[in-house]
Parts: sequence; structure tokens; C-alpha cells
Amino acid sequence: MELRINALSKTYVNGVKALDNVTLTVPPGMYGLLGQDGAGKSTLMRTIATLQEADGGEVTLGDLNVLMDKDGVRRLLGYLPQDFGVYPRVSAYEMLDHLALLKGVSAAKQRKELVEAMLQKVNLWEHRKKALTGYSGGMRQRFGIAQALLGNPKLLIVDEPTAGLDPGERNRFYNLLAEIGESVIVILSTHIVEDVMELCSKMAILHRGRVFFEGGPEDAVNALAGKVYMRKIAKAELKDYEARYKVISSKMVAGQPLIHVFSEDPLEDGFSLANPSLEDVFFTKIGGLN
Amino acid sequence: MFAELLRFELRYWLKAVMVWVFMVILGSLVFAATSTDQVTIGGSIGNTHRNAPYVIGTFYSIMGIFSMLMTTAFVNSAASRDFQYGTHQMVFSTPLKKAHYLLGRFIGSTLVAVIPMLGISVGMILAGFMPWIDAQRFGPIHWDAHLQGILTFALPNTFFVAAIVFVIAVLTRSTMASFLGTLVLLVGYIVTDVLTEDLDNERLAMLLDPFAIRTYSIMTKYWTVAERNTRALGWEGMMLANRLIWTGAGLVIFLLGYQRFSFSERSKKSKSAELESAEPAAIDIPVAQVSEGKATAWSQFAGLLKFEFWGLVKSTSFIVIMAAALMNTIPSIIFSAKEGYGNSSYPVTYFIVEVIQGSLYLFTISMITYYAGLLVWRERDARMDEIEDVTPSPTFIRYAAKFTALMGIMAILQAIMMLVGISTQTWLGYTRYQIGLYASKLFIYDFSFFVFLAVLAFFVHVLSPNKYVGYFGFVIFLVANAFVWDPLDVATRLVKYGSRPSYTYSDFFGYAPYFLTWWAFTLYWALFALLLCALTAVLWPRGKETALRIRWRNWQGEMRTAAMALGGLFLVFGAWLYYNNAVLNKLVGPKTALERQAQYEKKYKQYQKMTLPRITAIRYDIDIYPERRALRMKADQELVNNSNEAISSVHMVLDQNFDYDIQIDGARLESFDRDYGYQIYKLDPDMQPGEKRRMRYTVTREPRGIENSVRVMQLVQNGTFFNNGIAPQLGYQPEGELNDRNERRKRGLPEKDLMPALERDCTKNCMNTYLSNHSDWVSVETVISTSPDQIAVAPGSLLREWNDGGRRYFHYKVDKDSLNFYSFISAKYEVARGEWNGVKTEVYYHHEHPWNVEKMMRSIHLALDYCTKNFGPYMHKQARIIEFPRISTFAQAFPGTMPYSESIGFIARLEKPDDIDMVQYVVVHEMAHQWWAHQVIGANMQGATALSEMLAQYSSLMVMEHQYGRDQMRKFLEYEVDRYLSGRGRERLKERPLLTVEAQQGYIHYQKASAAIYYLKEMIGEDAVNRALRKTVERFAYAQPPYPTSHHLIDALREETPEHLRYLIRDLFEDITLFANRTVEATAKKRADGQYDVSIEVESKKLKADADGNEKECAMDDYVDIGAFAKPKDGKRYGETLYRERVKLQAGKRKFQFVTKEAPEKAGIDPFRLLIDRVPSDNLKKVSLSD
Repeated sequence: MELRINALSKTYVNGVKALDNVTLTVPPGMYGLLGQDGAGKSTLMRTIATLQEADGGEVTLGDLNVLMDKDGVRRLLGYLPQDFGVYPRVSAYEMLDHLALLKGVSAAKQRKELVEAMLQKVNLWEHRKKALTGYSGGMRQRFGIAQALLGNPKLLIVDEPTAGLDPGERNRFYNLLAEIGESVIVILSTHIVEDVMELCSKMAILHRGRVFFEGGPEDAVNALAGKVYMRKIAKAELKDYEARYKVISSKMVAGQPLIHVFSEDPLEDGFSLANPSLEDVFFTKIGGLN
Repeated sequence: MFAELLRFELRYWLKAVMVWVFMVILGSLVFAATSTDQVTIGGSIGNTHRNAPYVIGTFYSIMGIFSMLMTTAFVNSAASRDFQYGTHQMVFSTPLKKAHYLLGRFIGSTLVAVIPMLGISVGMILAGFMPWIDAQRFGPIHWDAHLQGILTFALPNTFFVAAIVFVIAVLTRSTMASFLGTLVLLVGYIVTDVLTEDLDNERLAMLLDPFAIRTYSIMTKYWTVAERNTRALGWEGMMLANRLIWTGAGLVIFLLGYQRFSFSERSKKSKSAELESAEPAAIDIPVAQVSEGKATAWSQFAGLLKFEFWGLVKSTSFIVIMAAALMNTIPSIIFSAKEGYGNSSYPVTYFIVEVIQGSLYLFTISMITYYAGLLVWRERDARMDEIEDVTPSPTFIRYAAKFTALMGIMAILQAIMMLVGISTQTWLGYTRYQIGLYASKLFIYDFSFFVFLAVLAFFVHVLSPNKYVGYFGFVIFLVANAFVWDPLDVATRLVKYGSRPSYTYSDFFGYAPYFLTWWAFTLYWALFALLLCALTAVLWPRGKETALRIRWRNWQGEMRTAAMALGGLFLVFGAWLYYNNAVLNKLVGPKTALERQAQYEKKYKQYQKMTLPRITAIRYDIDIYPERRALRMKADQELVNNSNEAISSVHMVLDQNFDYDIQIDGARLESFDRDYGYQIYKLDPDMQPGEKRRMRYTVTREPRGIENSVRVMQLVQNGTFFNNGIAPQLGYQPEGELNDRNERRKRGLPEKDLMPALERDCTKNCMNTYLSNHSDWVSVETVISTSPDQIAVAPGSLLREWNDGGRRYFHYKVDKDSLNFYSFISAKYEVARGEWNGVKTEVYYHHEHPWNVEKMMRSIHLALDYCTKNFGPYMHKQARIIEFPRISTFAQAFPGTMPYSESIGFIARLEKPDDIDMVQYVVVHEMAHQWWAHQVIGANMQGATALSEMLAQYSSLMVMEHQYGRDQMRKFLEYEVDRYLSGRGRERLKERPLLTVEAQQGYIHYQKASAAIYYLKEMIGEDAVNRALRKTVERFAYAQPPYPTSHHLIDALREETPEHLRYLIRDLFEDITLFANRTVEATAKKRADGQYDVSIEVESKKLKADADGNEKECAMDDYVDIGAFAKPKDGKRYGETLYRERVKLQAGKRKFQFVTKEAPEKAGIDPFRLLIDRVPSDNLKKVSLSD
């Protein structure tokens, strides 16, 4: 079963084109959606998750017409939104139980087993009776993924899950995702390049509502081999270099800018060959440099 | 730093809606209290200007209590805001000094909390500009008084409450604790207030009141009307002391909190220092079976219901509102089974459910309003909506669960109230619970309204883009629904959401008369509510697309067709109902009805003085059909021309609720104005002086279909009670005129007639009594039939009783020609029968109300004893008391019969032996009317009611005195004078002395009259008074016109009064006389022989008032009692009378010495309350014993 997105478009009332003719094919496995804030990732996620309507295009999940058959999608869906709150005076156990019921696990005994197992899986068992309002950010996200995984979803949509998490929590999160079965379609949207690199077998780059790249991350990086050069320059020279070369990105290292430049042909003049990274891929794609 | 914090706080709040909403609420209350009579704050203000400084002070002091919860909201929020929103870590890590922080927040929020109080001034000033006010009752704007109100009450009171709340909030960091703390403070204040009510030590009372309400009232107690209109009380005298004490207390409390506050985090429970493993636990997630379909939906519903229910119940706001609701309602239930004269009645269930309605339902409606919003917006407020919305559960289950949770809570609340009611009844020793009545009233009649409200609330919130628009829209709708229809002249319930006919429960008929109409409209609105439910389910928000048309488009199928089917059904049913209301029955808009009343007067008042024949004899044939609420009354009456001119036309006024068929000998119907029920008959030939003619008529009522409101409650399934007012009335009837002054003015009508001015030796103007303009003394014979299980009663002796054709017949005849003023009754009665000197004494009562029947019987006998001995013979062969349903709550006297309402007298309960026996009091009063009104009746002139009511009161008082002794009379007189004094404060027109009292001035001809005639009796003796009364009866009983006036009575009394006491006649009856007596000092010293030398200093003042309430001091040379009393024995109200002397006093101070045999507890002037005193509570003073 695949998720196919075909020419999906959405324009908000204020004229902003959130999605512009987006076409993607998402096979089972981890699929990364990479883009900056405002690129359209969340809009795309919410549309697939049946929370929003689209102006044009279609989305199919196997035989299911996602935009039309919302109930059908919901039965297979697990969703972790980018931003969510909690009810006051409700514990993690109660909330998970509540959501499991809503997802259709109506048999009480089964539900109990499921909820308890899930709490242990995400290492929240000791805190299960505490009110969710008292959870730290990392614990909140663990709860979030726990609820998304209830009811064995076939399509898992995870929207910016590791923003604001410390490296330890992020790690824990990746480990959880990695355990998800191979037949599950997982769409992970993020602006953290490492997430995609570490986890995803396929990715897409979204920028201003349009798809700038779709394919395997490794292949994309390899394709840049030998075409990325780096050089340390002085702050004042930056503008000059930007005019003369195809500057991909510029970072500060020990107080001085270090620029990455794209060039088909070898470069001299103080440049050294850089090992291309997915970040380079990102900026070259959206910059139209390649 | 501090200034900046202060400014921040002020700016934050001035933008908040809450401040202005509270200000509008307070302002509206004061506006209504100042410009209308619908709202009173702090009791009656008498003749003071409505915007006087005294009133301003009263409002400001009392509103301090109201605004306690407001202050709590502001201050608590300011104190805990940083913790609530998590900014405390940010704020506290700045170089902020504790002083600046706390002071800034505290002073800022306190100042802001004062702002709503300014609404008091705004409301009052605005009221002064309204077109409908009585300009005479308003003085100039006293800005200094407004300023004093703020400085003396608003600021210090708010400061005090704020200090307490601030400390609680800052130390506990819990909103719930703050509100509960305020509630405790409020309850504590009220309890202390009640407990210290009788505090003799006024100084202490003035200092102990943190809100200075008591202080203010004590300090202004003796202020004259002129002072109240001009003087504003500030920080002076005892008020200064009080303010210093309580402001100081507030400061101390604040400093306490200040000292204990710290910026550091509260030490949370130590986090377990475990290092959580980075690996997810190595367990398998069981594959859960996901299901759908009906069974799943049900368990989802059940689970959601529990979730929403507990979510509501655990929230702070719920706990606080519930606490407030219970604290308001439970005491109301417990303390409310009291009725007149401080007595109690049996705590009957219908009364308790009405108390529940009155005290709880405002909270219930507020809860529904508030929680509907919370429930609909819960997911979105918590930002859980995205997670919840993508689950595969059906949308309408969420709606169903939330709605059920809310209704469940309301139902539980009703059940709690029912338990409280039953417990209270049990505790008071009353076990007739009538569970069916509790259940039907609380869970059907009232609950249905809650359901309608909740359905609407959910619907409005689902349509609204945010919570506040939803609240606003719902409240606006409710207010509009209540108030917009009358001005639009729309009477039909079919457009007023949730409207059902009003009803009154009676033990006689339960809800039977209202049943059909009530259920018809309930079904109608239920259909509409179901339609709203369907629409709500269809439009329930899900996902991020909130435009309504998208929501509508997304919901196809069964819900939509269901909605449309319901809509159709609703319209069809509504049309049928409308046909019933408006075509089968008459339906008149409220404005049209008022207009018609005005037109009636404009067209026909010109005929008021027309000479008409008089009725002299009537024979009735009445058939009552209780189950159908139908009636047929046939009458054959004799008319006589008693005048000395020929009569050429006869006018009749008919009751619009009945059908008439009238025939007068030698007359034909010339015009029939159906809008007003006014008929004019032309007599051909003219009726000559002395000529007699016959008039025959039939009055019928046959209910048709379903009415908009249930009317003609005189005819019911059990307890039919109507008087001969439904007969065609001869001549123009002023009762049909508009009464309300504003409505009259609007329609160009002059002020309503008062009674004609009193004349001394009148002839032409005294030809009518004040009760009737078409008959004098008539003979009445009745044959009346009803259902076989009921008893029908008509005036007179029962001649014969028989059954025929499945109905029961009675034949009555009046023993002596009487006033044409009587009633016909039919109900399922038990009858208690007795006899007094050949007179049949009977009490007809509902079988479940036997408690006071024996006492009533005894009271009839006591009355007959006293009145026949002292006034004259009783002319009827029967004296009946008849119970009727509580649609009306009066007792009346007709010839030989006294109908008595179900909810007075019959349910009275005497607890203490020295309580005033209300039952006896009213029965004797009504029996006395058999002489005073039914033998001697006043002409239609000022002072007529003094003849009837004053003497009825007198008779009752004397019977009471003979039974309880002179010393007990003061309790009664206290109460009467109290009601007289408050009645004066409410007088809209002019107060009159007893001689010229108007018919509607009850506070004078009942209450003042009691005091006046009793005092006269005290001075000239019972025998003298009774001699005067007997002479009046001999002269005027059953007299033909011209009728007597109050002059005749007062003259008779004056004849029996010795010369040196004749001033009393003028003081008591011809003038409005008041006293200001008080005891300045009372001391006693024990003598060697064990007795006590008592010394008192008293002060006296005598005042006469004019019609507008202006009082002027006058010369005094009156007889006043002084006395001393021992400490009352346990359970008794009054102590033994140790000394009583009648002295002659002039105005001013005077000392008296006398001896008592034991230690006196209280001593003073006019201890038995014989004189009408402006401030009665200072007559007696506690005696201070010296050694």
C-alpha cells in the first residue's frame, strides 16, 4: 500500500499559496519531509490527516480516496501534531485510555492491556498517574507518540516531533520510531536535517508550497560529491563572494564565516573540497543551484 | 520599578472585559433600584430622595458585600498570574525587589477592583435623567456624597477583602483556595451579622463590622428626612474608628503575607533521580482489536460521558459555583417556612419546591450558560482538538456525551435539593413528603426548561467563531426572548423560545387545569429543540475548516433528512396550536390589551354617575362541571327603580371570558361593544320611580381547544371558587380601568380617581357603598349542582340536598337580606360541624389539611361570643369557613361565609405557646366583618375602610387580649406598627389619617388602625369603646342609603371619651401623629430590704406629619406608660412586668424613680408599644445595676 499525492493545492483566504501542485509518492517505511517554517509541511500533514480541505488534486492511500473518505483514513491513521495542549487534571493513563476508546478499542480489558503496554514502551509507566500538565516537554512528546501508535495505524504522520527536545529525548524518540513495522507508512516532517539523514529511506524537500526534490537522501548527497567547496573568509568579504560564486550556505566557525559553494568545475583560490551533507543538498535544491 | 509595575497592572486590567462587565452589572442594579420599584437595595427609604446622600451611602456600604467576589477575581488573578502562566521564572529572575513586585500587583489590582463600584454612582446619576422617574423624588446630584461613598466604603472595604485574598493567593498559589476563602469570609460575615443582631451594645456593634454596614445604619438611625437628603457621612466619629480598625487589620494581614512570600520555587517533590533508559522498553504492543458499529458507539458514548462529567466536576469554577449555590439555597429552604408574625407554617412541599426555584435557578441557568461554552470549546481551548478530531469516532457522540454530562449534573443538583427538602421537612417533624410532587416539579416542569436552555446554548456555541461570541450571543438571546415580545405586542407563546404557560400548584387540583396546555407547548418546543439538536450535530466543528457552509456540506444523509422531517413536523404542530390559541380562543397582544382598557375608560366613564335600577332579589340556578371546567349559571333577578326619576336605559359590563344571554323586561339591546363587553339596553317604556322589573340571564363557560395561557382559574377540577362578579354588572365598573400610573399617562388618561372626599352630612353622595354601585341589601336563593363527589356551597342556609341524573344538587337561601357580594364554591371537602346557640358553625376543608380545623372552629365560637355580647346579634343561621385553592392567598368575608386560602391559616403551625395565633387572629377578624361590613357598611367615600377594617382588627385584638392577657399584646402591636412604618415609606401618593383613609391604603386601615384603636381602648376602657360600637350597630345595621361615613364612627367614639382625653380622637384619627420616645438611661440599685430602686431618664417628642411625609414637632401633653421588666424565663419572650405606670409627659427629657421587687432587666418608656414610634427599638434599655 502506498500513499500517492497528486497535484495537491491549497490557497488560504489571505491569498497565501500553502500547497502548489504537490505530487509525491510515499512507500511504506520512513519518509522525510524537509522544509523551513512556512514551507507548507504542516498544511500537507493536516490535509492528509483529514483536518483540512484541499482546493485541488487528490490523495490516495491504496484504494482509499483520502480527501473524500475521511472516516476510512481515520481508521488507519496515527497523528502527532506539531503543537498540542493537554486537559488539566487528567493523567496520562486516563488520556491514553480515552483516546484508545475513541480509536475504537471498545473492549475494556483489551484497552487496559494496550494502554499499559504503550505506557511502558515509551517509558512513562512511572508517571502514568500524574497529570499531563506536569509533564516536561520530552515526556509530552513521548505521550504524543504513544497516542499516535494506539490502534496499530497503517499511516503515521509525525509533524516536527523533535523540535525543542534535548539530544537524549531525541534519541529515545528515534528508537521508538525505528521499532515501527516496515509495512507502516511513516511521514516525518522536520526542519532538522539530521532527523532525515538518520531515519529516512526517502525524502522530499518542500519550499513555499512546492516540491523541490523527491528521492533517497543518500543518493542526493552522493550526487553532490565533488561539487561542494568550502572556504573560510572574512566577514566583510561575504557579499563579494556571494556575487562571484554560487554560495550554498555560510556558517560561523570560531567567529569567522565559513562558506560552502557549489561548483560543477573545480575551484582554486583558497577553496577546499567539502564532504557534501544533506544540508548542502537542501540549500542547493531550494536555491535552484542544481 | 514600582510605578512601572503599578502601571502595568492597571493597563492590563483596563483592557480586560471583566472590569467593565462588573461595572455594568453593579450600575444596572443601582440604576434599577433608583429609578424603578422593581429592585430594592437595603430596604425601604421612606420619603427620602431616591438619590439622596443617605441612599448613596447605603448602596455603597451594601454593595461591598456584592463586590467581594469581584475583588477576589481581580486580586487572585494578579497574585497568581505569574504562576499560572509560567512567567514567574522569567519575572523572578529579574532584579525585582519583593516590595515593588507585591505592592505593584496588590495596589494595582485593588485599585482596579474599586472601579466597578463606581458603577454605583454612574447608575444612580443616570437614573436621574430617565423620563419615567418621578422628579419629585429626586434631589440635586451630591458629588460630595458620591466621593464619600468611595472614600468611606469602596476603598477601605475593597482593601480589606483584597488583603485577605492576596495573602491566600500568594501563599497557596491556588485559585480555588482564594475563592473558597472569600466564600468563607462571606458566610462568616453573614452568620456573625445574624448572631449580633440583638446586640445591645451598639458601640461594639459599630466597631465589629468590617464593611461598616451596621455602623452606617446605626449612625444614621436618627437622621431626619432633611438630613438624609443633604448630609454625607465620612470618616467621622465611630465610622472613623471603624475604618481605622479594619484598614489597619487589612494592613496587618497584607504584611503577614508579604513577610512569608518568597520568590523561590516551592520545593516540588524531589524528582526521582533515575536515569531513564534511552531504549524503549522491550515489550510488544498487543495488537488491539479496533471495532466500530453500534456497540462500539455506545461504549464510546459511555466512556466520553464519564470523561466529560468528571472534567466538569473537578474544575475549580464548578466547585466554587456549586458551593455558592448550595450555600444560598439550603439556608433558604431551612429558614423559609415562616409566615407572618414570625410564626411558621407547616413546611409543605409545594412551598419548598418554590423556594428551590427562587433561590437555585439563577445559579442553574448561570451554570448551563457557562458550562455549555466550556464543553463545546473544551478540545479547542486545551489544543487537543487535532488529536481528538482525527480519531474515527462519530462526531455526534461527542455532542451527545457533553450534553448528557451537563444535564446529568443538573439532574444530580435537583436530586440533592430534593433530599435537602425532604430532610428539612423530616427535621421539622413533617412527613407528608409528596414525592410525586417533588419529582414532577423538579424533574419535569423545571428540568424541561433547563433542557431547552442547554440545547440552545450548545447550538449557539457551535455556530459561533469563538467562546465569547457564543456567550454573548446566548445571553443576548435570552434577554431578548424575555423582554422583546411585550413591546412588540406579541402574546403568543409560539415565538417565545421554551415558553410554557405559568402554573400554580394546589393540593386541591395538582396541576390538572394546566396539564393539556402545558404539555401541548412542551411538545411544540421539544420538537424545535430536537430540530436544534439535529442541526447542532450536523454543524459540530471537526478539523480545521470552520466555515459553516463547509460543515453543512460535509454532513449528508440521515441527519439532514431527520432535521428536515423534524422541521416539518414542528411547523405543522405549531400551526395547529396557533389555530387553537388564536382562532378557537381569543388572543390579544399585551399592548392591545392595555389599549383596550384605556379605551373602555375613555368611551364609557362618562356614564359612571348614571342612575340605574337596583337589584333587590336574585334566584340562581347554577350547574358546575368540574372535570370539564365548565359552568352554566342562570339567574332571575328583580330590579327596582329606587330613584325619583325615570330610567330610560340600562348599561351592562360583561366578563370577556364568559358567554352571556340576557333578557330584561321591556328592554332591547341597543349596542354591544364586544371589545369591551359593554352593552347598552334601551328601556321601552321607561322604568318609572318605584317600578319593579325582572331580568333573566345565563352565563356560560365551555372551554374550547387549547389556550395560550390558562385562564378562568375560578373553574377547576377541584376547588371551583367564583363570586357573583361573573354576573353581568349593572353600570360602568371602575375596576376595569388601567391602574398603572405610567400606562395611564402614556395613553393620555388623567390620574386614577381616588375615593370621593369625605363629607360630613352627605346624602346624595352616600347612596352607594364602597363595595357596590348596583345593589343595597338583596335576598338570594340558589340551586346549585355539581359532580356527585363534590360539595357545592352557596350563601345562606342549606334547605335541601339531593341527587339526580348523576349529579348532586343543593338548595340554599340567605337568612337575612345582605350585601350583593358572595361566592359559589364546589370541591371535594371534609366538613367539620359545630354549633353555637343554634348557629351552625362549619369548616369545609381539604382532607389533607386538618391541622388547624379545630382551632378555626374554636375561633368562630370565640368571635361569636365576643361580637354578639358587645356589638349586636348575628343574623345568619350559619358561619362557614371554606378552604379554596391557593391561586389567591387571602381570606374574605361574605355574608355568613368566609373563604380562606389553602396556603394561609390551614397550613399555619403554632410552635410556641406565646406565639401569636395567626389562625385565630384572621378567623376572628373575618367573623367580625359580619358586623363591620355586612351589617354596618360605609358609603363610597374616604374613610369607609376604617369603618370595616379597623373595627374588624379591634375585634380580633380584643379576643386575643382576653385570651393571652394585656401584657402579650405588645408583640402584636410591634409587628403592626413596623408594617405601618414601612408602608409609609412605600406610599406613592399621599398618606391620609384614618378618618379619610383611601381604600388601597392597607398599611393605614389595617396596621395603623390596630394600634390606634387599641391605644384608645387603653385610655378610655374597653367598655366605653364597645358602647360606641354598639350604638353604631344599632343605628346603621342593614340601614338603607344614605350610608354611614367614618365621621359617624369617630363621633360615636368621641361621645364616649372624657373631655380631658378628647385630644386623642384628633391625634389618632384626624391627624397623622408620631412619637420619638426613647430611654436615655436606666439604672437600679439594690436596697437593704432586697427590693430595687430603679431610676430612668426618658426623652419624648411628639410629631405630626403632613400628607407628603414632612414631620413637624408639636406640643405634647400626653399620657404615656413607663415600666420595668424582669429577665424572661427560659423559652419566654417577655419577662414579668415589675412595674407599670401611666404618666403625663411633655416634650423633652424627664427622670422617673420607682421601686421593683426584684432586679429589673429592662426598663423604659412606652414598653407596651401603645404609641406609634418612629424608632421603636429604643424605648426600653438594659438596666445597669449599681451596688
